[in-house]
Amino acid sequence: MRAVTNAPRAAKSVMVSEGDQELRALMIRYQGGSLEAFQEIYAQLAPGVRRYLSHLALGSEIADDLLQETFLQMHRSRAAYNPTYAVRPWVFGLARNVFLMNRRAARRWAAVHESREDLPEFPVLPEADRLGSQDEIRRCIAHLSPDQAEALLLHHEWGFSFEEIAGMLGIGAAAARARASRGMADLRVALNSLQRARA
Amino acid sequence: MMDRSPKPPEELMRAIAQDLRPVRPSPQPLYLAMRMVPLALLVSSVILLAIGPRPDSGILGPLLTWGASAAQFLLAIALIWIAAHESTPAGRLPRQMVYSAAVVASLVVVFVTLLTFSTSPADVTLPVPPRINEILRVSPWIVGFACGIGSTLAGGILVLFFSLVFRNSLATRPTVAGALYGAGAGLAINAGWRIACPFSTPWHALGAHGAAIIATVVLGAIIGASLGNRRLHVGARRS
Repeated sequence: MRAVTNAPRAAKSVMVSEGDQELRALMIRYQGGSLEAFQEIYAQLAPGVRRYLSHLALGSEIADDLLQETFLQMHRSRAAYNPTYAVRPWVFGLARNVFLMNRRAARRWAAVHESREDLPEFPVLPEADRLGSQDEIRRCIAHLSPDQAEALLLHHEWGFSFEEIAGMLGIGAAAARARASRGMADLRVALNSLQRARA
Repeated sequence: MMDRSPKPPEELMRAIAQDLRPVRPSPQPLYLAMRMVPLALLVSSVILLAIGPRPDSGILGPLLTWGASAAQFLLAIALIWIAAHESTPAGRLPRQMVYSAAVVASLVVVFVTLLTFSTSPADVTLPVPPRINEILRVSPWIVGFACGIGSTLAGGILVLFFSLVFRNSLATRPTVAGALYGAGAGLAINAGWRIACPFSTPWHALGAHGAAIIATVVLGAIIGASLGNRRLHVGARRS
């Protein structure tokens, strides 16, 4: 069995950092009025943002609407972006914001839970993929506390640093690290229990 | 359902293409807060420029007269800086820091009030006809009312200005962001007002000036919430 750790994936972090430089340049062009820059930003970020929204909305189909709303909000508020910020955390933070606003507006939090028939589409962590089937890992992540699951996925799946997660969630970097770490530990325990039950 | 490919859907592209005018990037939170300083300084100084420093400023000394107000003003700017962070999706500060700043600001106001009263507790005679001084002595609520309304109005002007600057706020908690810049406005006004107001009793300073700060916090929170709701309706249209 592969060891499950809470260490960030270094190679991915470097990729993300280089990618974000490109995104910043695109964002500046977009603020200058370039439609092509918007399309490129969308192409780079939409899949990840959609998965994140799908995770927040627990797999509800509302994620597609929220994705569109996120990019619409980004367009309306494009002046609010400062080029000193990394683009990905800014857009993911905006997506979270849109999700929370929508939840408040429609009071559909309960409805989302009640109407949920399928498991969410959120991804399986590479760190955990040998501990169980994809379905089992999804189920276990779905049973983590929402705070832990969110920090865990933001760090391990989307490669955000704990400082970036802290800025998105309004918590300290240490708290972000603790949430992800506890989430990973709980996930490991849950998957090990499943394995023992299978054996 | 939307197309899940990375290509933006037509509907979204149409909305984007309709308005692609170039925009100026928003400044960083610190720079944004610093841009508020001149107007905040001007509005908070109006009462001071109108009636001058309190007669007992000699007893209080420069530290308790100007220094304490400067500290309050700096705290006000810090609150606006925190509000600017709160309004940024990726730049939010830890909740503990936000709430701690609000608690520290409250404690500083109370501390300065009590220190001022303990240093200069004597009744002050205003440079007005003796009959008016007698009325004010018998009915101190009149002065309290005047200070409360006056500083609320001055604070309200600042809150409106701040809300204009924060109109594109992307705060997850717009009510909190509004309350923070409202508190900043109230504190900035109080910083100037307390140098001019000659009444140092805790009843007056906390009851009238404190109520004005609370009023600007509430006003900021209401404006912040309504700005948030405005965005909310846009989001709810599709739901």
